[in-house]
Amino acid sequence: MVELREHEQKTLLTLQKLEGRAPVDQIIKASGLAHAAVMRASLSLTMKKLTRVHEQKQTVITLNEEGRYHAKKGLPERRLIHGLLKLDGEASVDEVVKKSALEKKFLTIALGWLRRKGWATIEKKKQVLKAPKEPSIGVDEKLLSLLDQKGLLIVERLNKQLQDAVSILKRRKLVKMDEKTLRELELTEAGWKLVKQGIEIVKEVSQLTPELIRTGNWRKVKLRRFDVTAPGPTIYPGKIHPVQQIIQRIREIFLEMGFTEIRGPIVETAFWNFDALFQPQDHPAREMQDTFYLANPKEGKLPKRNIVDAVAKTHENGWKTGSRGWEYTWSRDEAKRLVLRTHTTSVTIRHLAKHKEPPVKVFSVDRVYRNEKVDYKRLAEFHQIEGIIMDKKVTLRDLMGTLKEFYLKLGLKKVQFWPSYFPYTEPSAQSTVYVPKLKTWMELCGMGIFRPEVVEPFGIKHPVLAWGGGLERLIMLKLGVDDMRFLYKNDLGWIRRSPICQ
Amino acid sequence: MPVITLAKDRFSTFIGRPITVEEMAKWLPWAGFDIEDVGPDYIKVEFNPNRIDFSSTAGVARAFNGLREWKTGLPKYEVAKGKVVLNVDPSVSEVRPYVLAAIIRNMRLDDDSVRELMEMQEDLHWGVGRDRRKISIGVHNMDVVQPPFSYVASDPNAVRFIPLDKMEEMSLNEILKKHEKGMAYSHLVDWASKYPLIIDSQKRVLSFPPIINGELTKVDSHTQNLFIEITGTDYNAIARSLNVLVTALSDMGGTIESVRVNYPDRAVVSPNLTPQRMRLRIHYANELLGLKLSESKVIQSLRKSRLDAKKISKGVLQVLIPAYRIDIMHEIDLVEEVAIGYGYFRLKPTRPATITTGKQHSASEKANRVRQIMIGLGFIEAMNFILTNEVAHYEKMRQKVGGMVVTLANPVSTENSIARGELLPSLMKNLADNRHESYTQRLFEVSDVIRISGKTETRSERRLHMAGVCSHPTANFTEIKSIVEAMLADLNVKRWKVKAARNPSFLEGRVAAIHVKGKKVGVLGEVHPEVITNFELENPVGAFEIDLEEV
Repeated sequence: MVELREHEQKTLLTLQKLEGRAPVDQIIKASGLAHAAVMRASLSLTMKKLTRVHEQKQTVITLNEEGRYHAKKGLPERRLIHGLLKLDGEASVDEVVKKSALEKKFLTIALGWLRRKGWATIEKKKQVLKAPKEPSIGVDEKLLSLLDQKGLLIVERLNKQLQDAVSILKRRKLVKMDEKTLRELELTEAGWKLVKQGIEIVKEVSQLTPELIRTGNWRKVKLRRFDVTAPGPTIYPGKIHPVQQIIQRIREIFLEMGFTEIRGPIVETAFWNFDALFQPQDHPAREMQDTFYLANPKEGKLPKRNIVDAVAKTHENGWKTGSRGWEYTWSRDEAKRLVLRTHTTSVTIRHLAKHKEPPVKVFSVDRVYRNEKVDYKRLAEFHQIEGIIMDKKVTLRDLMGTLKEFYLKLGLKKVQFWPSYFPYTEPSAQSTVYVPKLKTWMELCGMGIFRPEVVEPFGIKHPVLAWGGGLERLIMLKLGVDDMRFLYKNDLGWIRRSPICQ
Repeated sequence: MPVITLAKDRFSTFIGRPITVEEMAKWLPWAGFDIEDVGPDYIKVEFNPNRIDFSSTAGVARAFNGLREWKTGLPKYEVAKGKVVLNVDPSVSEVRPYVLAAIIRNMRLDDDSVRELMEMQEDLHWGVGRDRRKISIGVHNMDVVQPPFSYVASDPNAVRFIPLDKMEEMSLNEILKKHEKGMAYSHLVDWASKYPLIIDSQKRVLSFPPIINGELTKVDSHTQNLFIEITGTDYNAIARSLNVLVTALSDMGGTIESVRVNYPDRAVVSPNLTPQRMRLRIHYANELLGLKLSESKVIQSLRKSRLDAKKISKGVLQVLIPAYRIDIMHEIDLVEEVAIGYGYFRLKPTRPATITTGKQHSASEKANRVRQIMIGLGFIEAMNFILTNEVAHYEKMRQKVGGMVVTLANPVSTENSIARGELLPSLMKNLADNRHESYTQRLFEVSDVIRISGKTETRSERRLHMAGVCSHPTANFTEIKSIVEAMLADLNVKRWKVKAARNPSFLEGRVAAIHVKGKKVGVLGEVHPEVITNFELENPVGAFEIDLEEV
């Protein structure tokens, strides 16, 4: 059984009404279908051998501007005859022209056709016209007024006489000719049979199966038309965590800027976390309420004696650095204590202690710890961004320029630098960036040049530019999250619905 | 960071000219202050803990005048020679050995300045005194007591006096046991056999340092003459704190008068406001700042930071540092003073000349490959804390707490008591937290665990792990095994084997160990129904974890 779509059915039924054969235009009118739908139906129905298409070339004839003018006023030669007859059938050309109000540009044409049609005689010497009576209407004039009435005519459908007149008007350049293809649709025997049986609705199939494709049966079944605007069932792709996505972008920025990534211990000795960075052993930051100390394992190993001695003396009296130091007795035991690192700068100073040849450009985006009560803007475990440049002759202004570039790559264009303080840098600065989304300035990274008391015990001879800041504040800004704890809740709904591109 | 509230009118008095809050807000950040709050007639600012001299309006005004070039160079302070003596008894050497003192005469105090004086003391106690251990300050009404004064150590029960803001006499012992300050600071003296006291010639108690002053010498807005004593364990810290305090009080209108402090072996005239001297090489400053300032420009910048400087040889300055600038300990600190005096806003950013190429760490490279594979397998990444606790990490997973756990000594929250040694417990918690979300749920994490290791100097090591969980009504061993196999194949891991294993977190007979090159690197299997129930879940869970350091 042949399966028909709606426009095919309607086309067939319309054809039946139109007695089995009709031009497309007529079917459109009678069925109320769109032109495109009837055209599609004519193709598909013909493919199913239910209809046959007849195509005919047609010449459409219409009047041009001059043609329309003459159709209204009469052909020039007719107008001339009228004028002449009003002058009793004999008068000079000038008089006739005047009487008939013929435009000058038509005079030659009018005289030529008067003669050719044999409507009047002209005495050449005196320029006198003579006409015996009103000539009867010619076929050319008939065609002209017919065209004027109908607007267009199909040449092939005119009688022999009028078809001859077409060539006259064509020669006189009063008409326009266009070729068109006329499509007519005709029911075949199979078509008739079908419409006489009445058209049956076939059961619909929604899933196109390998079976239907292989057998070709997909042609026979009715594949259901879908509401393509209906929402699809939700699927969630695998995805990188939104925080990790931003970490990756920041890492890319560092890599683009020529920095090498470093990674070091999370459980760290107080020596590398504090002492190596010239933080005195009684500094408040080292106290229990700020730093996680370890119960197991409790103590680590200190590095080589000469390094430890230099650091110890720098704390006690400044050693060879020219500093007055912190003026206390430094304790090895305190330095051996293990902590969860409070910053990634411990990794930096470890790296610099081993890489003293300039240039050193390194970075890390990694976990750090503070023994604090957690709330919406504070976590005990979070990430620090840190960038370091050690090189000959680098300056505080270079540090500002580098940070500016770093921010620019994050889409933060306006930056300001202020005096600030960090225990292991001097001079130090704080940077604020303008956040267009919030229409406000915001503190992001702190920065500075490592103090001589930090670098000299390790034999580092060139300035060390450093900057760093918390990652989570930046992420909250980017993702529009206002509770820091939420970032690591791993709320599947949030991750599933967070666009990759933000 | 410490905070000070600057009242506009009071600030105007100190800088000697009218000023608007807007102008204060505009310029204070260029001296290193952070604006906290701007009100109609006050401004609240944070200052850096090294600049303890900013704990008074007078101290902020000095810097502000310099920055605006209204008053530059070293502020001068006179110390009148006084006759008052403070005798130090040898008995204090065991408990709190040092004391210094000063007198401020002709103060005109009001409620605001009394309050500020108290706040300054607190800032010094915290910032320099390390919460009164190294130094503690007593400020007294001098007119109610009779010099000479003595610093002695006394038997805890022998002396009684009325502590500040109390009505009744208490013994030193009672103060430590009952008084709120006594309880808070008893650890600073309670280990000694005798406790320190400042007394006058009539044996009246001025203070019981570092715990509490006596009510007798309480300072209020009518007090005119002040006796200031600072005791402690760090002589230099005491001397510097005294300088910060007396210079501020001098700016507030008082006259500084010296006190002779007689130690058993020497006598000290206190306070000593002689400016500190330090060398500054011009090229050193210029090279670090990226500037080409002339000698005179450097001197001008230093003067704006309220220092003085003169040239002592080609390219070298001798800098005079006022006694209240206790933060300057190295030539480098003077470089920053030059920068602040010159103006940070005038430093144009430049770019370092050296070209370098970047390189990512191999651990990140590996982790990123794993991420690519896992999202290809339809997994969503989780990010969990390394900090966890025994219940979540072991008990719910049906594992025994072993001895090889990195344990914290002093966590503020019981949520965080150990460092994780595996990733899987966190992922199970993630499934538990997301029970209300639609299934299938596939989660992975690629991150660090911390394991105890005798080999390293930190006795522990961070190891990069990866783990995954897959949960839905028909999750099973076969599915998770396919996933692990696909992942190992994509990681191009060679010579791996899966062997039957036992693991209490998984169903027996549906758990396997993953071996690479003969070494066990991970586990995979169907999670034990008891574990699933422990996390209040209902769907089966396939899970795996691999130590990436070994593949």
